Amino acid sequence: MPNNISAGDTAWLLASAALVMLMTPALGFFYGGLVRRKNVLATIMHSFFILCLISVQWVLWGYTLAFGPDHGGLIGGLDWLALRGVGQDPGPYAPTVPHEAYMVFQMMFAVITPALITGAFAERKRFKAFVVFTLLWATFVYDPVAHWVWGGGWLGQLGALDFAGGTVVHITSGVSALVAALVLGRRVGYGRDSLEPHDATMTVLGASLLWFGWFGFNAGSAINAGGLAANAFVVTNTAAAMAALTWMTVSWLHKGAPSVLGAAAGAVAGLVAITPASGYVDVSASILIGLGAGVFCYTAIQLTKRLKVDDALDVFGVHGVGGAWGALATGIFATVAINSGAKDGLVYGNPGQLGIQAIAVAASIVYSAVMTFVILKLIDVFVGLRVPESEEVLGLDASQHREAAYQI
Amino acid sequence: MEILAFVSFAVLVVAWLVAPSRGAVAVVTHAEEAKAA
Repeated sequence: MPNNISAGDTAWLLASAALVMLMTPALGFFYGGLVRRKNVLATIMHSFFILCLISVQWVLWGYTLAFGPDHGGLIGGLDWLALRGVGQDPGPYAPTVPHEAYMVFQMMFAVITPALITGAFAERKRFKAFVVFTLLWATFVYDPVAHWVWGGGWLGQLGALDFAGGTVVHITSGVSALVAALVLGRRVGYGRDSLEPHDATMTVLGASLLWFGWFGFNAGSAINAGGLAANAFVVTNTAAAMAALTWMTVSWLHKGAPSVLGAAAGAVAGLVAITPASGYVDVSASILIGLGAGVFCYTAIQLTKRLKVDDALDVFGVHGVGGAWGALATGIFATVAINSGAKDGLVYGNPGQLGIQAIAVAASIVYSAVMTFVILKLIDVFVGLRVPESEEVLGLDASQHREAAYQI
Repeated sequence: MEILAFVSFAVLVVAWLVAPSRGAVAVVTHAEEAKAA
């Protein structure tokens, strides 16, 4: 073993990669419970298929585009194509772990990000279109934005703080989800038929497994098994809990009953919001971030429903709005008392950091929206985005996969 | 910051105490819907 490698850091990072890996099938269950029973297999397949697809894309060209040697602050070079030169010795990003361990940890982030978008086009997208979209989106949206923030690109150089992916993961996926919902249009029967979740228990199980995996997502992003990881773990748990309590309370006051699905969605919103801040804020700030996530994300979802945007599983409200709130909150609450390698935020006398965070948020939104729109339009021309209405009514499990989820 | 954290949690606790209790109505509604289906 090379001298610089820490057994503790390596063990924690590999365990974290495994935790983050679990989040993608967990997302499949979270989303799977929210759709009608005729679409549950197709919805779970979205997440499971992406786990396979991006695992291969990442080792072939995704990792080098995101983390390869910088070219103009915009994209990584092709030096590490097919992981050439990425081996057991440490790489430039993490001096105490094998470069391969860092690569595979980042791979799991690249996997779950496009999977988040699938909730917006659930119950109506052609499987073939979904496959092409995922591959193009990962290559032309996720990989460049990951480079901008984490790979030595222009947002990182500007000083943007994003500990575990508020901009890279959640804003990109949330905004792309909104664009996808608008481009695909509403589901057949939207506003007329009941489109209620078919299995709330599956959704709560999925949310719980997401919460479990998120400890790897955020605490693993410390890239060492030390105090910063412990702080990220604690604030992650606190924000998730506070957002779940807040969402449930707001929905209770609004609709008259404490919603179980609301508590689950609220927990995910809190996890999203604390993601960019988890390595920079203390526990009091995490309570306020969770509170904001519960209020802002719930409100955003009511607004999208009022505007009759069929973001089927509320991806924009949870990930787009939650990610933006978390990224901005990082600029408000960040403190060098938690992370000496970072910067103070607004409440600690550095208002400029909030401005930098706003630039990162705006850049992520604009780039994701434009690129996603272009990709979807191209796919619509060459492949076709939606299944025919008859197949949508039949359900995607039967029409796309010739299988049924339940034989009862 | 700490004060704001305590206050925000206290606001939630108060909200739970004053929030409406109409769960039974919803259960009946679902049951009726299921019968009708």
